Amino acid sequence: MMTGRLNLAFGPPLAIFWLGLVVATFFDVSIPSFVWWSAAAYTLAGAFWHTIRYGMLAYVGKRLVESLITVAVIASATFLLLRVLPGGPFDSEKALPPEIKAAIEKKYQLDQPLLVQYGNFMVGLVQGDLGESYKYLGRNISEILAESLPASVQLGVYALLLAYLIGIPFGVLAARYHNRWPDHLLMALAISGVSVPSFLVAPILILIFCFGLGWFEPALWDGPAYYILPTWVLGTRAAAVIARLVRASVLEVIKADYIRTGRAKGLSESTLLFKHVLRNSLIPVLTFSGPLIAGIITGSFVVEQIFAIPGIGKHMVLSVSNRDYPLILGTTLVFSVILVVCNLLVDLLYAYVDPRIKLNV
Amino acid sequence: MSNIRILVFALLTTFLSTGCTKKEGKADYGLPLSETLRINILQEPPSLDWSKSVDTTSSLIENNIMEGLVEYDLNDPELSLVPALATAWKPNSTASIWNITLRKGVKWTDGVDFTAQHVIDGWERLLNPATASQYAYFLFGVKNAQKYNEGKITDFSQVGIRADADGNLVVELEKPKGYFPYLLAHHATFPIRKDVVEKHKDRWTDPENIVTLGAYRLKIWDHDKAIVLERNEGYYGEKAKTKYVLAYMINEMSTAINLFDSGKLDFQSSLPSRELRQLRSRKEYREAGTLGIYYYGFNTRTPPFNDVRVRRAFAHAIDRKQITDMLAGGQIPLSGWVPVGMFGYEADRGLKFDPELANKLLEEAGFKDRSKFPKIKLGFNTNEDHQRVAENVQAQIRKNLGLDIELANEEWKVYLASLKSNPPSIYRLGWLADYPDPDNFMNLMSSASENNHTGWSSKTYDSYVDKAVSMTNKEERRKTYSEAQKFLTEMEVPAVPIYSMVSQILVSPRVEGLKENPLTRYIFKGVSLK
Repeated sequence: MMTGRLNLAFGPPLAIFWLGLVVATFFDVSIPSFVWWSAAAYTLAGAFWHTIRYGMLAYVGKRLVESLITVAVIASATFLLLRVLPGGPFDSEKALPPEIKAAIEKKYQLDQPLLVQYGNFMVGLVQGDLGESYKYLGRNISEILAESLPASVQLGVYALLLAYLIGIPFGVLAARYHNRWPDHLLMALAISGVSVPSFLVAPILILIFCFGLGWFEPALWDGPAYYILPTWVLGTRAAAVIARLVRASVLEVIKADYIRTGRAKGLSESTLLFKHVLRNSLIPVLTFSGPLIAGIITGSFVVEQIFAIPGIGKHMVLSVSNRDYPLILGTTLVFSVILVVCNLLVDLLYAYVDPRIKLNV
Repeated sequence: MSNIRILVFALLTTFLSTGCTKKEGKADYGLPLSETLRINILQEPPSLDWSKSVDTTSSLIENNIMEGLVEYDLNDPELSLVPALATAWKPNSTASIWNITLRKGVKWTDGVDFTAQHVIDGWERLLNPATASQYAYFLFGVKNAQKYNEGKITDFSQVGIRADADGNLVVELEKPKGYFPYLLAHHATFPIRKDVVEKHKDRWTDPENIVTLGAYRLKIWDHDKAIVLERNEGYYGEKAKTKYVLAYMINEMSTAINLFDSGKLDFQSSLPSRELRQLRSRKEYREAGTLGIYYYGFNTRTPPFNDVRVRRAFAHAIDRKQITDMLAGGQIPLSGWVPVGMFGYEADRGLKFDPELANKLLEEAGFKDRSKFPKIKLGFNTNEDHQRVAENVQAQIRKNLGLDIELANEEWKVYLASLKSNPPSIYRLGWLADYPDPDNFMNLMSSASENNHTGWSSKTYDSYVDKAVSMTNKEERRKTYSEAQKFLTEMEVPAVPIYSMVSQILVSPRVEGLKENPLTRYIFKGVSLK
């Protein structure tokens, strides 16, 4: 069987197109929704075509079934764990008279046996109904997620772009000048990038760039002047991890026989490094990318709080302290679905980056 | 190729220049800055359905788009009531039946005339078990209201509220309650448009559906981002001075202060306690006593706090002033049970700091040998400020009584669950007034109170509280509360008050007429901008 190689006429132009869309959102250019939909449809159709073309349909199908099971298990486990958690959604400082509490629990069917509640939840889930929030009265969970996810995804995508844009070249450079001053400098930066928490970096940046230089806005989410700092804070942390991964991986590949052969044949150092070494060094980065992407685009609580970004990160954390069961389940599901999808994509991309990897069943 | 480069360059510069230009003279949502009051309401209001909401964020918006039968005079330190939708409210001689005269000519935002039926509909909805409102108990003083809420009667006409022939209201109470008129200022008792609620169901509070009658109307509700209120031109009273209120939902206090400092916020109503020392010196800073108390309760079910002498010893061993000095937010040390600024407050009430007497009491209780003292835990919900107070108390008890206390913090909801099932030896809680009447505080420690986790109950105390609530003579009432407080905080001591609360706010110099007040009830119709 053939291994998957993305069609050059499909992949690169599409990637550039998506990049263009992302850049346009950064500058607050309004993009009609049909552009988004057609881009998504074209991408999906292309991906599907490639899946068939390279005989990976069965593999992808199998993985999708596995993913569904994973998500169902996560949903069930979360549902049960929530009920073990002490304290209920309607406990408050001003304790309610028991009869009123009973009426509320009845309204939300919390008086039913756990198994019945679980059954109702799973049936709703299959029908795509996540129920209503206990905290935000009358608001549907899907609605809350749909309203808060875009800002998080937007910030996440900018941060990821920045992370790869900085992380990969820095990693390569550090490896290229292994044990010399650029290596030491870049790795010192990377270590501080990983270890200094964002709640410390963010206020310092705000102090310098908003109150000192007056270039950017200290908070809210309303245009490039608002996007830059949070993107920087969130992106550089991920960049630091990526740089370290790339460096280690490049150092390993650089010693390989085929690189020596290439050098002996007279290939220029940069061609060698960026064409032959880099491509083969990206596998660990790719592995790391699944969880990274899922983590970043589903929102960072700290960064969203500091910059008052109306994203999903807040719901991920606050829904738990509010014991808003439906919202906790909703955010958990969003996160797990994105994680599962990212991991599947990463596995498919392995085959593209490294022809030695075969993804056949 | 070079053409493409030029094109890309041109596009990028356009993007950059459009994106980075600051919108001069405009607030977000294209509102004119000179006519927009920009405030921070800290979080998304959980609901603008005034029969159901229970939190301060929601009520802040509700109090500005709606109005009750009566309203507080926020300029009056005694918080007297002034007419709103009602022009007069008079009790019969025993204060058990109230005649409420309604204002004529009030219109809802959709042009419909306001009538007594809208108030009755509001109360019916609040009490209806299907609504499952957490504030339903507010009206339990009304005849048959509790029975209706519990489903024991289903005919609402048996509940003690009706319209008379002139279109005014007659309310009949189960028992006389002196504080009854205060309830009419609370959003739970506001009138409601049943037809609108029934038509739009859960969506009725969306800006395009909601029908209100306050000085502002809901214009935009951008979930998790902001709410925009616009002046209601059809308001019956004096029209709002500022056309728009833009309310952001910024949870992080330091972020809000950054926005305030960069001129994007005019009003911030919650300040980080760690920064108070520094914030207090600013000209935009204001603080006001709030009707709220911070206290420690004892678990009196088990030793050592089943012994009243030990409870008194602890009350004498805590120097409250040391705690309020540390907090530096203007809090006032409190030893009585009624907060500063409320009817019934007495500065001299309660057990004062007296370590010598504290040690004597402890020895009388049989703990001359401190090693015999049982291990005790002080519980609080995880929070930096509660932690600071708890550590301070721990240190004071060690120094003044020679005893060690273990601190145990729990996440809020876990903590609430522990208070119900197995409270720690000492627990922290606070109480903020629902209405400015001492009954709201005194009731807290009554036997029937769901919020009394001490395990202590007393028929004597209950009878004080019961008696006082129906008294119509102010002086007699004050005397009864004084006796009740003496019994509670000097003789029985199931709990130790620590301080009377304070609210701190930042107000931009361009804002005029924003009044800080003990109820932290912010009404924006009288606010103007320079």
